[in-house]
Amino acid sequence: MNVTALLLAQTALTLDSPMTWGIGLGAAGLALRLAPQAAWQKLGIIAGLIGIALIGVALPPLGDVLPQVLFWLMATLAVFASGAAVTSRSAVYAAIWFAVSLLGVAGLFLLQGAQFLGVATVVVYAGAIVVTFLFVLMLAQPEGHSPYDRISWAGFAIPIATIGVALLIGTLVSSLPEFGSVGTPNEILHKTHVARLGGELYAKHLVSVEVVGTILLVALVGAIAIVIQGNPRRRTTSEEGASDR
Amino acid sequence: MDDWLSRFLILIPAFPLAAAILVAIAGPKLLKRWCHVPVIVAIAASFVCSLGVLSQVSRLSNDAVAEHSTLASAGFEHVVTLWTWADVVEAYTPPDDLEAVADGGSRDFRIDVTLRADALTAIMLSMVTFISTLVAIFAAGYMHGDRGYWRFFAYIGLFVFSMTMLVSVSNFIMLFVFWEAVGVCSYLLIGFWYEKPEAAAAGKKAFLVNRVGDLGFALALFLIWTNYGTLNFHDTRADGETDPVLISQAMEAQLAGDAPGDNESLVVRGVLGRWRIAANDYVTGKVALAICLLLLLGACGKSAQFPLHVWLPDAMEGPTPVSALIHAATMVTAGVYMVTRCTPLFMASPEAQLTVACVGTFTALLAGLIAMTQFDLKRVLAYSTVSQLGYMFLALGTGTVVGISAGMFHLFTHAFFKALLFLGAGSVMHAMGGVIDMRRFGGLRRRMPTTHATFMIGCLALAGFPLLSGFFSKDSIVAAVHDRVHDIEHHLEGHGLESNVDDKDNRTNRSHTTYESYSEPEHSQSTLGQLANLPAAQLHRFATVYQWLYYSAMFTAFLTAFYTFRAFFMTFYGKEVIPHEAGHHAHESPPMMAWPLIVLAVFAALVGGALDQTIIHGPNLFGTFLLHTPSLADGAAAATFKPFEFHGNVAGTSGAIAILAILLATYLYLGHQREIEWIRRLMDFEQFAKWFDVESVSRWKEVAWVKQLHSAAKSVGLGWLTGGLGNAILLLVLIAATPFMLGHFISPYKLSLGKFFVDEIYQLLIVLPLRGFAVVCYAIDRWIVDGFVNLVGRIPLLVGGLMRSLQMGLVQFYALAMVLGVLVLLVARVMLAAG
Amino acid sequence: MNEAALLQNYLVVGGLLFGIGLFGFIVRRNMIVMFLCAEMMLQGVSVTAIAFGRYHDDWGGQMLVIFIIAVAAAEAGIALALILMLFHKSGTLDMAFWQDLREEGQPAFIDRGVPEERAEDRVWPTLTPAGVEPEVDQEEQRHRSNV
Repeated sequence: MNVTALLLAQTALTLDSPMTWGIGLGAAGLALRLAPQAAWQKLGIIAGLIGIALIGVALPPLGDVLPQVLFWLMATLAVFASGAAVTSRSAVYAAIWFAVSLLGVAGLFLLQGAQFLGVATVVVYAGAIVVTFLFVLMLAQPEGHSPYDRISWAGFAIPIATIGVALLIGTLVSSLPEFGSVGTPNEILHKTHVARLGGELYAKHLVSVEVVGTILLVALVGAIAIVIQGNPRRRTTSEEGASDR
Repeated sequence: MDDWLSRFLILIPAFPLAAAILVAIAGPKLLKRWCHVPVIVAIAASFVCSLGVLSQVSRLSNDAVAEHSTLASAGFEHVVTLWTWADVVEAYTPPDDLEAVADGGSRDFRIDVTLRADALTAIMLSMVTFISTLVAIFAAGYMHGDRGYWRFFAYIGLFVFSMTMLVSVSNFIMLFVFWEAVGVCSYLLIGFWYEKPEAAAAGKKAFLVNRVGDLGFALALFLIWTNYGTLNFHDTRADGETDPVLISQAMEAQLAGDAPGDNESLVVRGVLGRWRIAANDYVTGKVALAICLLLLLGACGKSAQFPLHVWLPDAMEGPTPVSALIHAATMVTAGVYMVTRCTPLFMASPEAQLTVACVGTFTALLAGLIAMTQFDLKRVLAYSTVSQLGYMFLALGTGTVVGISAGMFHLFTHAFFKALLFLGAGSVMHAMGGVIDMRRFGGLRRRMPTTHATFMIGCLALAGFPLLSGFFSKDSIVAAVHDRVHDIEHHLEGHGLESNVDDKDNRTNRSHTTYESYSEPEHSQSTLGQLANLPAAQLHRFATVYQWLYYSAMFTAFLTAFYTFRAFFMTFYGKEVIPHEAGHHAHESPPMMAWPLIVLAVFAALVGGALDQTIIHGPNLFGTFLLHTPSLADGAAAATFKPFEFHGNVAGTSGAIAILAILLATYLYLGHQREIEWIRRLMDFEQFAKWFDVESVSRWKEVAWVKQLHSAAKSVGLGWLTGGLGNAILLLVLIAATPFMLGHFISPYKLSLGKFFVDEIYQLLIVLPLRGFAVVCYAIDRWIVDGFVNLVGRIPLLVGGLMRSLQMGLVQFYALAMVLGVLVLLVARVMLAAG
Repeated sequence: MNEAALLQNYLVVGGLLFGIGLFGFIVRRNMIVMFLCAEMMLQGVSVTAIAFGRYHDDWGGQMLVIFIIAVAAAEAGIALALILMLFHKSGTLDMAFWQDLREEGQPAFIDRGVPEERAEDRVWPTLTPAGVEPEVDQEEQRHRSNV
């Protein structure tokens, strides 16, 4: 109890702070979404939305109206979609919600001025990785929902995970220091942003780029090797006949 | 070191040891069937060296006597120091409350590996090596084809090494070491056929029973160390110098008062050293009694005396040559040797000597009674060994040098004829395919003529047939006891002084005497030694006890002759019976086994008469030579000296008894053995049991005249009287029968057959309680100690069990654990930052 | 624009994304969804990195995110191959199927009280039909009722 009190005293997570209630409600919403009863699941959605709203209230205002609205939109989209993704019964829906969440994140990236990364996230993640997910889902789960999708970890696992994660986020968020203003980030928000990004990447991080390229190649070869190892080449019928003879 | 005597002394144990090592290393692979060759050659070489020692000692002894005025005493000893084994400086603190018999000079605990040569050692060495040679030759034939051939001869070599060392070391610690070494060899050889459970058990029993004796021996050594401050037999200087001339100089300087300044040349008088013996500087009283009784306990263990005799008969499970070598001729005599060696210590305590005599006599009687009914040929011989060793102890217990000399003489002759008998038994056993039960064979004299003839000589010698070895030695023992009684009575009657005068006359009359020096000691007014200081009442008791010991010894002589010839007749006479195990080799043993028998037979027959010629008023060569031993040649022991003479009346009696017993055995066992069966039933109380049988007694009322009497009594109205009388008689018979009913189980015959149930009593009184205690200890160890340890061991298991339930193989729980860990770290970080 | 407020807002969003992903990773049983959750945690980290990069006016954050995306792509390839292979071996995507690593003597985890599948969950996402309705193969319908 002392620990909790001290923790609460040392952070922004006081009981009269909307942030505290927001995180708590959000965590409760996530947990409720996984309950078997349909009504509870709906309650979970509401709780989650209220939680997001409360957290949003607790956040400091950005100052400008347009970025504020955009941020609200994108952040809500990203957080809500990700919450939906992790709690969807169907893996397909989860993948789709994940893609939606990625769109929100991409928007947040754009809002930060990271144009290239915003686009790259959409292209690489939503376009490639999520599609790969769906392919695998198609290969692996051709026939409807499985029991393991309908239930999550029973018993104490969900409460522990909920509380644990809520505490983790709470601690993370509340331990943020008060940042002072440092002025406009001229470098990032430069007109030739992408060109400078490329220059930075290929000038300062060339070796890393090469290494990452190699990693991708190795991963490609590895993925193929793993799948082939998992599926030994079947003998043709003529070979079977030969062996029978 | 550079004289022949020293070389011989070193070579005697070295040869067998080298042979044993050689056989042990090269035996199984290289020598194989020829393992006996190095051992026999080595032991024979040792024997030759022993003869060299004997002649050297004999020559030097006479020289020493001639010039003894420069030395401490008339005895002769020669000490060879090989190396220093242990040297602890300032180890000894003399006790305040004990008599100061320790030398003040040295306080070191110094153990030199020293060999000594004196008459006693020379005799023992020659006897041991001679018997060993013959037995090894015999064993080469007997053990032929055994799987452990090399092992056997390696053990034999080791044994001869240990035994020769045992008799030639000159230090109590070394004596103890080799005392144990021969025990180990005995254990190894008894359990030689260790696949046989009986052999393994017998080996273990011998070892454990000997431990009891060794405990006594060890305690005795502690007492000796405490009281004398040294454990050497001989006198030394503090720096280990043993040269007698140098010691004499140093000693005289010390006595004269101008002791040298340096500690190195101080004289440490050995426990059995000549200067100490000459001064008779020994503790007396209860301490001496304790030392002697503890030494006696040790001797009892090794020499199989009651109450530690139980191992020897069981030791017959070993190969027969081993029985002959160790358990008849050599090792078992170690106890006798030790007591003889420690004579000056025993001289200080007449009670201890009486105890020695009583133990010996009781053992002799007990073993003789047991041997009467045994059917195992080797067991009969084993009990006769125990019995004869009892005789030797009786002789040692007489407390006179003549008696001790007689005991050693009996040891010497007994070695020959008992080895002969055992080898003969081995020959029979060899021919009978390992069968040793006398009821299963008989009438072998035609098939095995050599064995028969040699065995007969051995039997006659053992029985004490006149003019054979056993006769002389046994007679001299009995005579010594008789003399002892006589001396005490003389002393009591106040003739002590006169008898002393007689002694003096006798001494001066002897032409070959070397003992004039004994007339000088101031405490030689009587041959009684320390006894003379005792009060008259106690002396009376001593006399009575010795008198009974004398009768008992005579009776045992009768038993000895009887059971020996019982075994002899059962084996070689009567109807010829061959057990089926014998197969086709029921014939005379090969020459390799026959020749040792013949040699031993010759010695068994002649050695007694040759060495003790007092019967024709010749010299007693053995006794005269033996008394050159320092322990016997001076001090209190020498004071008891009387000239060796032949006691015609005692010898005649014992000879007559032996012949009578032999004739009785002949009568009983050569015929149809009907009488012996009757005696057996008598001794088994079978007749008594019949007389007191309740059923037959109750049948009396069926007898005609009893019936008539009863009806007649009834007719006159006295029926109650006769009826009551009858019932009373029945009741009386019932009461009277009870002891005999019991007696049927513990009749003399059954007692003898069951070896007086000593083993069973030990089982009940010692083994079972110990087992019970062991069970309790086991339970404590198993449940309490182990339980505690297991409990400690269970704590991590318990904690682990708690943790184990977390290891459920579900990956996400591991992830959760990691999250919780991160959370803890984070919280800690935040709180630390908060201060 | 208040840069400090912007940073703080982004950090909160990043933390939320990370936490939600973590929650899903722990709670969900489907291996594919678990992997998806792991990607989501990467997104949370990316958001944070970008925000710090802008706040400090430094390219490092964006560089980091580029490499995160690349490594995530490689990781996705291998992980999906592994999942596919595991599915071939076991016939299920259930993470709890692979619990043989548990301590000896531990009871196996068995699902209890699995709820019936609800009717609305049986319906897979569909598109509004357009054009001529194709011929429906009755045989195929029987086998793949959900499609």
